[in-house]
Amino acid sequence: MSCVVKTATPFIDKEILCLALEQIGCKITVQGDSIITDIQDRVMGYQTFERDVNGKYYLAAYSYTDRNRADFVSEIGKHYEVLYQKKLEEIEKARQEAIAEAERQRLEQERIRMEEERKAFVEKQKNSIIEKAKAKGYSVKETMANNKIKLVLVRYTY
Amino acid sequence: MAEQRITITIDENGKINASTDGIKGEMCLAELQELLDENEMMQSVKKTDEYYQTEVNRNSNVIKNKQR
Repeated sequence: MSCVVKTATPFIDKEILCLALEQIGCKITVQGDSIITDIQDRVMGYQTFERDVNGKYYLAAYSYTDRNRADFVSEIGKHYEVLYQKKLEEIEKARQEAIAEAERQRLEQERIRMEEERKAFVEKQKNSIIEKAKAKGYSVKETMANNKIKLVLVRYTY
Repeated sequence: MAEQRITITIDENGKINASTDGIKGEMCLAELQELLDENEMMQSVKKTDEYYQTEVNRNSNVIKNKQR
């Protein structure tokens, strides 16, 4: 085995990277795609994360030893991963809630449609009977009780 | 002067219960069939004793349609 390389967590979400930096005690300033920390070095100035062409944020200026640099990035990575997972879970939860709400609205619309269809049918059915009854010489008395329509048709013959 | 009375009850689902009173013989059933939708599916037809008494004025019939 010649070597084993493990890369650090790629920081692709700016918002989460900022939160992770804040969690480890960094104060940050965001300028476009640059995230400037309050960690200052005499030679390199403020330590800054920049965005590369692949969309990943990398530590652009860091004058500490490689070991310190790796530890610093690793520490941010731990926070970043937890925050990233939490955000994914929140998005999934919101997505599920949105689906449930959309389904609830769809079912409510379906219930209303069926209710209106049923009422329209009963009304049409009643009107048809009344119309035929009147044509046949009946007087019609309509009442409502227990959600039922009662029609009393009366006529007199000699 | 004889009274002919038809009582029709329509429930919230459109199911009908109808009865006649004072209509002679088979005319009571025919009268109901004319009033109801021609495609109405009958669930049961109960003929009372009066249905067969064609010479008297008081005949009755109860008709129910199938639930939709």
